[in-house]
Amino acid sequence: MKNLLNELKVKIVDTLNLEDVSPEEIQEEDQLVGGELGIDSIDVLELVMMIEKDYSVKIDSKDLGAKVFATLNTLAIYIHENSPGLAN
Amino acid sequence: MGVISPVGAGLLQTKHAIRTCQKGIRPLCLFPAAHSPPLPVGEVDGLPGTGDVPRTHELAMIAAAEAMSGAKKPPDAIVMGVTTGGLSATEESLRKKDSNPDAYCYHAPGSVAEYLAGKYQCKGPAMTISTACSSGTAAMKLALEMLRSGSVRSVLTGGADSLCRLTYYGFNSLQLIDPNGAHPFDQKRRGMSVAEGAAMFLLVADDDVPDHAIAEVLGGGLSCDAYHPAAPHPQGEGARRAMLAAIQDAGIALADIDYVSLHGTGTLDNDLSEARAINALFGNGGAGREKPRMSSVKGALGHSLAAAGPTGVAFSAISICDGLIPANVGCDRPDPELSPEPVLKPLESEVRIALSNAFGFGGNNASLLLGHPGRTENVPSVRQPPSEGFSVVGFACFTGAGNTHQTFERLSQGNACKGMLPISEISEGLPVKTVRRLKRLPRLALSLTKAAHEDSGCADPPSSVFWGTGWGALSETYDFLTRLYESDERFTSPTDFIGSVHNAPAAQIAIQFQATGPNITTTGGDYSFEQALMAANLLSADTDDTLLVIGADEFHETLSGLFDRSVLADEIPSDGGGALCLRRSDSPGDPKIRQVFFENAENNPSVISSLIRSLGDAEAAINEKFAGLLLGIPRAYRKDGAKQLDEFLSLSGFLNPVIDYRKLTGEFASASAVAAVMAAGFIQKGEILAGLCGHSPIPLNGKNMLIIGLGRFVTAMETENGVRC
Repeated sequence: MKNLLNELKVKIVDTLNLEDVSPEEIQEEDQLVGGELGIDSIDVLELVMMIEKDYSVKIDSKDLGAKVFATLNTLAIYIHENSPGLAN
Repeated sequence: MGVISPVGAGLLQTKHAIRTCQKGIRPLCLFPAAHSPPLPVGEVDGLPGTGDVPRTHELAMIAAAEAMSGAKKPPDAIVMGVTTGGLSATEESLRKKDSNPDAYCYHAPGSVAEYLAGKYQCKGPAMTISTACSSGTAAMKLALEMLRSGSVRSVLTGGADSLCRLTYYGFNSLQLIDPNGAHPFDQKRRGMSVAEGAAMFLLVADDDVPDHAIAEVLGGGLSCDAYHPAAPHPQGEGARRAMLAAIQDAGIALADIDYVSLHGTGTLDNDLSEARAINALFGNGGAGREKPRMSSVKGALGHSLAAAGPTGVAFSAISICDGLIPANVGCDRPDPELSPEPVLKPLESEVRIALSNAFGFGGNNASLLLGHPGRTENVPSVRQPPSEGFSVVGFACFTGAGNTHQTFERLSQGNACKGMLPISEISEGLPVKTVRRLKRLPRLALSLTKAAHEDSGCADPPSSVFWGTGWGALSETYDFLTRLYESDERFTSPTDFIGSVHNAPAAQIAIQFQATGPNITTTGGDYSFEQALMAANLLSADTDDTLLVIGADEFHETLSGLFDRSVLADEIPSDGGGALCLRRSDSPGDPKIRQVFFENAENNPSVISSLIRSLGDAEAAINEKFAGLLLGIPRAYRKDGAKQLDEFLSLSGFLNPVIDYRKLTGEFASASAVAAVMAAGFIQKGEILAGLCGHSPIPLNGKNMLIIGLGRFVTAMETENGVRC
């Protein structure tokens, strides 16, 4: 799980071109969208694409997205539970 | 009037479809899709598909032929709204890695208007507005102003767009597609259906109502949310302002409106914000006032992007002419949050005035009002915009040499400023958070407007934006398609999709300056900046707000050479642009600029004499008036341009210096924007820079500068001394 969290931090910074944010600055329990990182609804859609491509996990509705993208932690848990490559 | 949509071609079929509530939304057949089953779309069946021209051009031609049937003369001008242009064909060619530029000759959105101009022998301007899904209605408002200006008597106008991969996968990546087909204003609506089509109108200015007139365009309104690159303002604030502007423009009362053709895409956000805008405008009933009937036709037709607005206008015209209000097909259980309820069944009812809405990415809003021909009182007729043009209160350019100062410095040394600036240099001074999602063209646009506004001494923030680009955001378009192809059409970038529309940079500018007035994007190859200046003149006759007119293009390693033959012919890749911060009123000491001429050179043997007439005719007058000529001949049209120049020089007897500016700026479509900045700079300094015509500067002695564009179109702008302090 720790690895997944760290991996996601790097991927989020890369995917969203967050030039002024370093991966370590993303806190696992902080609000992910609409918070200090400046991540908005378009970014969420960009992350949806990345997550489907890299983890084969689909997040295809706004309602689901709101829950999954609440924090980095909720995102990692959802990916962990639903990714064919990661599920136990 | 002519219309083609997924429910039929021509007015007869369309009216039948309205009466029988036909639905034209079905799973995509046009190209194999990665989704199984394919997503529902509004596809037009039975196009000739000869392969001579892309689908958008075919659709436009079919609608135009119906609109022009019975017309005895060519239209004086063509004003189109187009977003995808020949993209459907380009996508196929790029997939095959076809490197022959012939395969891309109809790529540009502007090529649709030019194609129609060729077919109908139109010698006047062929303009294209590309403001995403409001394009067609915005184009019709511009056509209306062109007629009101008295410069033309007839305009062929409307919108066209065809299905293609970019829009099919792009809207899906934004999770805006309803897998069951669009159900606008329904409680269970989940999104839109992408579609295709065209609707065209021949608008004629005449004191007497012409025979067979279907409806009269009473007025139009434009606005920009200046809120978000893709989502509408949640309260529909911009939409309300566009509708209100149309009502004020037409001088009618709210109570005179009997029908509203809604934008009504079927997305959660659009329908909610439009309903709020309507409620804010018309009030919540009460006081004995009934709200107009309203419906969206996108549940029947899908959303045909640039054609959607004019299609709504066509349905509005039918409501007026035939007293037939279309049903909001697809809405079974109206969403109680979106009162009032739309019309659920086709309705026979008299409609005096209809309001038609079209909203698009970039918070771009357009509304148009139609009435019975000749029956509405006090409709404004001829309203000439001030002929003296604008005061240039600030200007800026970017070229291969750098910013304005660096460009002028390089030119004064007698050197060219070809080349491309590194993206870091273009982005200097732009906040990282603002530009992290922006690629080369929007960064250029933002930096140019920031610099022009700073140069004005930070005049009032601009309220309107007029943005001209020959080719739009090439990086975003290329990256979107590349990622799509590399993943077997499974993955795309929603950010690139939003950024790929031609008006994306104009939306960024609007957000930056909170510019909530008209936000117009023009595109027409090498004459895009001139179109933007013309649009600014026509759409800001009544305002003295600050406005921005910008032209810029980016060089893209793969696409520029395929699309733009002039770029292909030059060994040094170049890009950049120019921005002008303008005011209508006199500004002491500032230069003035005005657009004086714009005609199609094709089928127009007298184009050069016509140009000379517009400049003041007599030989002595032209030499006396202009100290120098900045001449733009795109490299691909050098031969024709050289002939046109010879004719100009021999007929006008012009003897003063001629500066061939594309040899200095390099080849890019909006190089004329840099020429306009050069001319403004010369007027401000009172001299043509040393290095451009010999070793010493040439004093202007109070004379003006002339900027002429040659090639497929012939254009002229002039800059002159403003009022002295």
